[in-house]
Amino acid sequence: MNAAAAPVKYAGRDYIIEVVIASALYVGAAAIRHWLIARATPLGLAVPAALVPSLPVWGLLWVVWRYYRRIDEFEKIRFLETLAISFGVGSCLLVSYAFLADAGVSQLGITWAWPTLAVTWGLAGAIMHFVRR
Amino acid sequence: MKNKLPALRAARGLTQGDLADALNVSRQTVNAIETERYDPSLPLAFAIAKFFKCRIEDIFSVK
Repeated sequence: MNAAAAPVKYAGRDYIIEVVIASALYVGAAAIRHWLIARATPLGLAVPAALVPSLPVWGLLWVVWRYYRRIDEFEKIRFLETLAISFGVGSCLLVSYAFLADAGVSQLGITWAWPTLAVTWGLAGAIMHFVRR
Repeated sequence: MKNKLPALRAARGLTQGDLADALNVSRQTVNAIETERYDPSLPLAFAIAKFFKCRIEDIFSVK
């Protein structure tokens, strides 16, 4: 079905369902990755095993794009505003953390970047929702 | 821009949700237009005018 022609009223509901599914797949894929790497995967499979969690991330990008195509013009503006704010805040958080990591204060893995951006995006969306009411 | 959307909608006994469904936009979008927080694009303005069977300038005007 052409996403752009689908009823706008169900776009938000479908988006939430699809984001939850993609996030659950990400958690599952991260666990599978950990399991595969812990079993000393042969070198030829190490790269695909390490990249397993990236598949649901690409899936999430598709979910976001699908949602963007379905919403109306006003919702698109709000969506892009929220995205811009969360990108700015997320970038500042990541740069701040990079300075901490560079100084040896903390050493979290780079895999925390995506969940951090996702949480930042969610918080920006929630805050903007209440600001615009 | 000012608009007569609330009056036109009320005259037909429609809720914001009814109008949103008819125009295939969200209820929030109809609310934003009615409260003059958002000026619709030309295609949406035409769709609104077509729905109410009147001209765009009969609904929208410059403040």
